[in-house]
Amino acid sequence: MSLQKKDDFDHGEWLDKKELSLIEKTYLFTLMWLDKRLRIVDYLELLEDQYYKMNMQMPKSHTEQYNLDNKFWYWYPLYSLGSLSIIAYVVLAITGALLGFYYAPATAGEEASVAYNQMLFIMAELNFGFMLRSIHRWAAQFMIAAVFLHMLRVYFTGAYKEPREVNWIIGVVLILLLLLFGFSGYLLPWNQLSLWAGQIGVEMAMSVPLVGEWAALLIFGGFEMGQPTLMRMYIMHVFILPFVVTALIALHVGIVWMQGIAEPH
Amino acid sequence: MSEDNETRADGSGTGIVPPDDETPTWRDRKERTQGLSRLTYEYFERARREDQDLRQESDYVERDVLGFPAWPHETIRNLAITSFFIGIMIFLSATMPPHFGDPADPSTTPAVILPDWYLYWSFGLLQTDPLNPELAILGGERLMQSDTFGVLVHAPIIGLIFLVPFLNKGSARRPVEEPFWAALGMTGVMFAFTWSLLAIDNIIAERVPMMTATLLFDLVHIVPVVAGVVTYSVLKAMQEGYMYNLNRRYYRLRPPR
Repeated sequence: MSLQKKDDFDHGEWLDKKELSLIEKTYLFTLMWLDKRLRIVDYLELLEDQYYKMNMQMPKSHTEQYNLDNKFWYWYPLYSLGSLSIIAYVVLAITGALLGFYYAPATAGEEASVAYNQMLFIMAELNFGFMLRSIHRWAAQFMIAAVFLHMLRVYFTGAYKEPREVNWIIGVVLILLLLLFGFSGYLLPWNQLSLWAGQIGVEMAMSVPLVGEWAALLIFGGFEMGQPTLMRMYIMHVFILPFVVTALIALHVGIVWMQGIAEPH
Repeated sequence: MSEDNETRADGSGTGIVPPDDETPTWRDRKERTQGLSRLTYEYFERARREDQDLRQESDYVERDVLGFPAWPHETIRNLAITSFFIGIMIFLSATMPPHFGDPADPSTTPAVILPDWYLYWSFGLLQTDPLNPELAILGGERLMQSDTFGVLVHAPIIGLIFLVPFLNKGSARRPVEEPFWAALGMTGVMFAFTWSLLAIDNIIAERVPMMTATLLFDLVHIVPVVAGVVTYSVLKAMQEGYMYNLNRRYYRLRPPR
């Protein structure tokens, strides 16, 4: 009897005995290495267990039970509008982050502001800069169009009815936030269109009785367009709205996941 | 534990007491609660029982296999749709790059002041002040200033959209089943479109001289209503058609004597 400690689970020997390709061997070795330290297999087992439990208990959906697949897939394009808007949102996030490296929200400058000049730099000198901006803008148009059509689909197929009222409300909030997203982005280049569209926005806020001036101060940072306005629009566009909208989208999709898709009858 | 074997609350010991026979179980604890937490417990128990009963007597067919395989069917379809969609976006951004105007200049007002297309409806609403109710009581003066009206009129419209699921209840899904709500939706869509036209009225006046301001304003508010009425009548007619078919089948099975 040797004093050498004997390992009952000598995976190394087991690995040697097997005839495996290089990829298989590397994979197994990595898996074993990680599993020894992190007990991955336990967690995978838990996950797998949960997955099968969930799917075993799931009743057949309406389309499955009544064999309505043909009708459902006929309308499929309308049912993909929600995910299309999320795809556009992802494209927007990527191109937006890249554009953010080169943009500066400042109105200082003689004839043209720093913001405007940075936009000119992005479009004229930066490699792929014009393409980035172009894709960012078109993705925004696509996202808003997809979201509008998504709302129409939900309305005309009655998908907002019980038990999906809460998700309808979240969706309407999301659309309004998205319009704000678009508006704040429209102001960032600080060209004539931005300035005067923003001016109309200020005037709209100001004309609301009682809370109008307060709202104008809060959103536009003043009663006329200037550095505070640009800064607020910038922070709204790159900091506040991304967090809020992403969280709401996650909630929206999570509820759809829980409740299932409202299928056509 | 301290030497006198007493539980001490001064933070010196762990504060953990080993359970004995007197220690309540979690279930006991929940049952003994009062007020809101007791209500919550009772509701959860009821809901769980109800769920179980429903599941026992339901005729749901449970899946023994997963419905639609994620790989390769679902994944490939999603990849195809995604890449097609992104492809269209890149194609359009290459062929139609965005316009970039002059730098901001507060001293010169441009002829055309517009936001992006998706806010046209809102800008159009600002020009609906002829709808602003005139009150004779106030000596013919308007209830609100015209720009205030244009802004405040957003509230009932957006509020109505929020309230849709609470106003239209029931299990009907198809537009044919609820002609009124389908017609209302069509009116809304058309209004979004025509109010957008109102936002670009000076461009329209330039391009189409025939379209005077009054004519445009009237059309903007009449066309959506007409569209709604047409939708309603078409769907009603379709309903009649369905009923006719149903009746025909019924009488074919049981001919009238």
